[in-house]
Amino acid sequence: MDGETFIWLTSGQLYRMPRGTKTRVRRRSFLAGAGGAGIAGLSGCVSFGGDEGSSGDGGSTESESDGATAGETGSEPIALGQPAALSGQWDFLQPGVSQATDAAVSHINEAGGVLGGELEVIRRDTAVNPQEARTVATQLVESDGVAGLVGLFSSEINPLWDFLQDLAMPVVTPWPGSTYLDTRGGDKLTPDDVSDDEWVWRTVVGDTVHTSGSAVYALEEGFETLGVLNGNTEGERSYAEGFLDVYEENGGTLVERVEVELAQSSYQSALSRLFDADFDAFLISLPQESAITALSDWSDGEYGRQPILSDTLASQAVYDQVGSAIEGAWAAQPGRSGPGYDTFEGIYAEAGDAEINAWTPPSWDAVTVMALAIERAGEASPTAIQRNLGPVSRGDGTPVQTFAAGKEALANGEEITYRGAATPTTFTQHGNVFGTVTISTAESGGFTQTSQVSAADVREYVPEGQY
Amino acid sequence: MGLLQEILFGLVTGSYIAIAAIGFTLIYGIVNMINFAYGEYLTLGAFVGLLASTALPVPLPVAVVVAMVGGGVGSLVLARGFFTPINQTGPVPLLLTSIGLGIALRNVIRLVAGRNARYFETETTTVRFDSVPDLSVGPVDLLGGFFVTTEQLTVVGAAVAVFVAVHLLLTRTNVGIAMRAMGDDEQLARVRGIDTQQVRDSVWILAGVLAGLAGVLMAIQTNVSATTGYSQILQILSAAILGGAGSPYGAIVGAYVIGLVIALSTALLPSGLTGLSTAAAFVILIAVLLVRPSGIAGTEVREA
Repeated sequence: MDGETFIWLTSGQLYRMPRGTKTRVRRRSFLAGAGGAGIAGLSGCVSFGGDEGSSGDGGSTESESDGATAGETGSEPIALGQPAALSGQWDFLQPGVSQATDAAVSHINEAGGVLGGELEVIRRDTAVNPQEARTVATQLVESDGVAGLVGLFSSEINPLWDFLQDLAMPVVTPWPGSTYLDTRGGDKLTPDDVSDDEWVWRTVVGDTVHTSGSAVYALEEGFETLGVLNGNTEGERSYAEGFLDVYEENGGTLVERVEVELAQSSYQSALSRLFDADFDAFLISLPQESAITALSDWSDGEYGRQPILSDTLASQAVYDQVGSAIEGAWAAQPGRSGPGYDTFEGIYAEAGDAEINAWTPPSWDAVTVMALAIERAGEASPTAIQRNLGPVSRGDGTPVQTFAAGKEALANGEEITYRGAATPTTFTQHGNVFGTVTISTAESGGFTQTSQVSAADVREYVPEGQY
Repeated sequence: MGLLQEILFGLVTGSYIAIAAIGFTLIYGIVNMINFAYGEYLTLGAFVGLLASTALPVPLPVAVVVAMVGGGVGSLVLARGFFTPINQTGPVPLLLTSIGLGIALRNVIRLVAGRNARYFETETTTVRFDSVPDLSVGPVDLLGGFFVTTEQLTVVGAAVAVFVAVHLLLTRTNVGIAMRAMGDDEQLARVRGIDTQQVRDSVWILAGVLAGLAGVLMAIQTNVSATTGYSQILQILSAAILGGAGSPYGAIVGAYVIGLVIALSTALLPSGLTGLSTAAAFVILIAVLLVRPSGIAGTEVREA
């Protein structure tokens, strides 16, 4: 063990740090460990993520440089960092995302790993708290030596934008819907020139896409006037505003909008105010637990009218708790329309029994496209990955739906174009993806897919270059 | 809807807060500590109630009683384990310990109970009074049709029962009189033969019982999760301070002031500011304290 540094992965396995990082990491690992132990002692959170880590035995060889750079020797592990919602108000979505991540990592390692070494994911809880996310991102990069990040929510990315740019570490995330990212991120279609790059990419369609789909669908259904009840946080506001932009531009009228705080014991006053206005349908943009309280209040108050739900609310829990009053409510979600969806679904089903949600396939895509970028780059430095995310996702290369196929094609000297599970994963200049929008309606005991708005239809409402 | 409906909403919100605020303020007045872990006491009560109603299973009213008993026992155990040993160190160490205990409890609950929110199975009936005439004064309708739900009536009824019970306890029972005496002057109370540790234990049990009740009522309206009580602690704390920290009657008044301000500000603030209704309640809190630093009641439990 002379000269080597080991850290515990969230999977409970030991991970040997690249030799080039040993001095710095040893001190920081100690501090992180001591600090972590102190915090754990206070908060009792010692096992957060204990079951959430993924993959790999942590076999290792030397590395010449800082930052977990994969050597051309081709046998050392490459670690990706996953800031995750293991706790907090979005934690109910994490199991599906974790399982998809782990399935992708397993699939990649079964295909021989990335650059011949095992791929690992170090998962750490941020509770979707920006301050915590900053700490976790720093920890993953500085202490764990990850090659890239495959997580972060809108609520974390937006306030940390400058920090993430200074970090200069590719972030490919399945989470954020925020319109803030519509014109931020990506390689600006100049992959070789990183000077104009911004280091965030997302594999989930932005709110602009599915809120546009939702607004288009509402207008098609004849709901010409609207009330809005939205939370006062970034994600909830962003969703409502994305919806309203398209809705109002295309002839819809906003009659009343009430903004509320989250986690209130009652939303009756807000509902009372909202329903004093006359409108056809109302949009609810709240996290699930607050939404269940609000919709239960709505049901108790017998306010009626057509509910339109934000994307996260088409869940069985919402149906079960609100009851039959919710029948007919619908939500627009990122579709599962990627060419590689069936391939993903088969592998995912074997990895566990977590429910697939709208962020599950994008999580698979995030890990896979990151791994393909490393494979194409031939190294795992941040800049090399950033340069290759565009080329493996765009163009006329050989279409591949899995890492295994991509690796083989690259080994044959071919260019590749990754065809993802959630969407085709064709990154725009701003690192965004386009896809279909699925309409899920509450009926017969749960939410079922009842309609779909094609990517082409939605594209009409999203100006070129603005996404 | 008219002002009457908004006032009803405010009374319901105030009732949730009041039940918890009484327990919180009794601890402050008699044990002389601000217990920031009190939100977690509500959470524990909610989980005990849920466990009773789903695992045993027992009818909801029985589950509420189980939660109250569990809350009382839990509160005493936590007090004996974490607060009694440092009773003599003063309010600041007790405060810091309570903050640490709250964080630890919240995370332990999260680890043990998992991430997902859980829900009580309840049936709610809505009673409407749509024929009440409008009574408009300017742009505001003072009356107008309104509705109440059985759930809201239960909460308000439970709150009234708690107010009566606490009043009788403090004024008609030996332990209540001892609490007031101890709150007034602990040393003198001890000289007079009052077992102050026993009184402390009684306060912890009473506060835990009230936390158990408030926790279940809140959980029925919202959900049971690791943050069920934590998300309400600021309002509970504010109600206690607004009313006059240490005074249960003041806490009741403070709770209803906060409940009403939250409801009315949501109804009356400009559209862009409705998300600040809780902040409006805190503005009222600051304004009242500037004018009357001892709170609305201006008295503590000893003078009840």
